[in-house]
Amino acid sequence: MSQIQEGVRARVHNPDDEAISSTHTKPPLNASFEKGNANTKLRTLKAITESIYINNEYNKTEKNEIIGRKQQQNYFAYLFYKILLVGLFIVYGAFRYAQYQYNRVKLRIYDLVYNPSNTPQLIRQDVLKLDKIPKRVAAILDMKPIGDVGGGLTGLLNDSSELICWTVSAGIKHLTLYDFDGVLQKNVTSFREEIHNKLSKYYGPSNVPKFVVRIPHSNSMYFNRDDSESEENKKVAIEISLLSNRDGRETIVDLTKTMADLCTQGSLDLSDVTMDLVDSELTQLVGPEPDLLVYFGPSLDLQGFPPWHIRLTEFYWEPDNTEVTYSVFIRALKKFSSCKMNVGK
Amino acid sequence: MSSEGSIPGSNSLLSLVKNTFSRTLRSSNCVPQHVGFVMDGNRRYSIKKEIEIKEGHEAGFVSMSRILELCYESGVTTATVFAFSIENFKRSPYEVQSLMDLAKKRIRQLTTNGNLAQKYGIRIRVIGDLSLLDEDLLKEIKDAVELTKDNKRSVLNICFPYTGREEILHSMKEVITERKVKGNTKIGEYLIDRHLYTGGLPPLDLLIRTSGVSRLSDFMLWQVSNKGVTVELLNCLWPEFGPSKMAWILLKFAFKKSLSDRSYTLEKEDESTSDTSLFQTQTMSIKAE
Repeated sequence: MSQIQEGVRARVHNPDDEAISSTHTKPPLNASFEKGNANTKLRTLKAITESIYINNEYNKTEKNEIIGRKQQQNYFAYLFYKILLVGLFIVYGAFRYAQYQYNRVKLRIYDLVYNPSNTPQLIRQDVLKLDKIPKRVAAILDMKPIGDVGGGLTGLLNDSSELICWTVSAGIKHLTLYDFDGVLQKNVTSFREEIHNKLSKYYGPSNVPKFVVRIPHSNSMYFNRDDSESEENKKVAIEISLLSNRDGRETIVDLTKTMADLCTQGSLDLSDVTMDLVDSELTQLVGPEPDLLVYFGPSLDLQGFPPWHIRLTEFYWEPDNTEVTYSVFIRALKKFSSCKMNVGK
Repeated sequence: MSSEGSIPGSNSLLSLVKNTFSRTLRSSNCVPQHVGFVMDGNRRYSIKKEIEIKEGHEAGFVSMSRILELCYESGVTTATVFAFSIENFKRSPYEVQSLMDLAKKRIRQLTTNGNLAQKYGIRIRVIGDLSLLDEDLLKEIKDAVELTKDNKRSVLNICFPYTGREEILHSMKEVITERKVKGNTKIGEYLIDRHLYTGGLPPLDLLIRTSGVSRLSDFMLWQVSNKGVTVELLNCLWPEFGPSKMAWILLKFAFKKSLSDRSYTLEKEDESTSDTSLFQTQTMSIKAE
C-alpha cells in the first residue's frame, strides 16, 4: 500500500489542495502573543464584573431568539432568573477562587516534594518504585505569551527539552510532543541544540544520550545535534516525534482524498478500506498511539490532537496547573502505573 | 436524591428546586449544546452493592433518564450516550444477551406512554454499526426512531454498538463513495464531519465520563479532539452520578464559558481600540507629510 503513502505525502506539499478546515479556531493565546499576559488579572476582574453587570440589566440585543420571545412574554420571570443566576455565579465564583488557590498551593508543595535537580538517578529512583511504565508518552504543550516568565519560543524549547531529559531518565523510549501551531517543527535546529545542552546538563558533556527527532509530517529524521548518521549514532536512547494540528484531522482528510482518488481510478476497492488499513496508514503517517498523554495546562483540552490516536490513551493533567514541571510528569507516571486496562470488559 | 421521599411534599420541593435551577442556568445562555456521556461503572456498582449485574444496569438507566431530564430542562439540545461498545461483544454471552434484552425494553420505554421522549420533544437516534444487532432489536429501534422523528426540540443519540474509530472509518467510506458517484466533490474536514453519525448536530461541548477512568475508550474520538471541548472525569460510578452532580458540572461549565466569552470580547475590544489608534497615528503622519 505504498501507493497510498506516496499519495498522502504528495498532498502534504501541495498548497492548492490545502483545505481550509471548517473547525479551525484561533491558535491558543495567539491574541496575547504581542501584548503579553501582564494585564490578564485586571482583565479577569473586568470580565467578572462585566458578566454580573450585563446579567443584571435587561439586555435587548440577546442573541437567542427563544429567550428573546420569552422576555416579552414574561419579563419578570426572566429578570428573576437572571438575578438568581448572578447569585449562583457569585457563590460559585467564590468557591472557584478558593479552589484555585488551594490547587496552586498543592502544586507548589508537589514541586517541593518531587524535585529532580538535574540528576537522572533521582528520577530513576522515583520510576523504579512503579509497577509499570508507559512505552510511549505524549505531551501537549502550550506556547505562552512572550511577555510571561517562561514564555515565547525560548520558554517552549526549554520546557520541552527538560521534558525529554525526564523521559530519558525514566527509561521511556518514545516521546511525542504536540503543539498546535507546530512551532517546534519549524525550529527544529535550535530545538536539537537545546536538547543537547539540557541532556549534557543531566548526564555530563561526555555522556550525552543519543536521540533522534522525527517529524512525521515531512517524513524527516534528525539524529543528535549534528546529522552524524553512522550506525553507532543510530542506536538512540529516545525517539522524539513532533506533531502539530496538521497531523490530526487534516491528515485523515488527506488520507480520505488519496483513497478516494485511488478508488475512482479503480486501483483500490471500497471493500479494501478497512479498519486495519486505515490504522496502519495512520500509524505510518503520524506514528503509533501513545499510552499516556500528559497535558501541562489548567484543564484538559486536546487542541486537535490526532483523533485516531487517542483511543485508549490515558490522560493526565493537574487542575489549574500552567507549568511544565517534573512533579506533574512523575505524578502522571504514577497514575498510569495504577490504572487497569480492560477493553470492553 | 431518593425517589421516595419520607417527608410528604419533599418530592415536589425537589422538583421545584430542580426546575428553578435549570431555568436559571438556561438564562445564562452558556449551557453546553451537546453533551456526551460515557456511562461507566454499572457493573462495578452492582458488585459493590451486591446486587445482580442486570439490576446494576437498571440502576444505570434510571440515573441516565434523570440526568437527561435535567440537561434538556437546562437547555442542552443534544445528548449522546455511550450505551454499548463494539468491544462489549467480548463479554460473556449471557451478559450481552441481557444487555440486548434490556435495550429492547428501555427503547420501548423511552418512547411509549408519554415518557421522556414526548415530554421533552426528543428525537431518538441509535448510532453505530447497526449491522451487528439482531433483527428483533433492529425492529424495536426502527419503531422508536420512526415514532420520534418529528420531534424538533432535542436529540438523544444512543451509541449502540459504537466505537469512535468505526465512526471515522464509516465517514471516510461514505465520503469516498460520494466522490465516486458525484465525481468532483471537494473533500475537507467539514465533509468528514458531516458524514459522522453525529453530522449536522451541534459540535460537542462537554464530555462526561464516570468511574474514575481517564480514557476515552473509543468514544467520539473525532469530536473530543476538537479544540475547546471540556472533558469532565468523575470518580463516582455511573448509577451514583445523580442530577445534583450534573447540576454542579453544568454550573461550572456555564461559569467558565461566560467568563471566557466576556474576556474574549474585552480582548477584542482592546485590540480594535489599539488598531484604531494605530490607524489614527498613521493618518496623522500622512497629514504631517
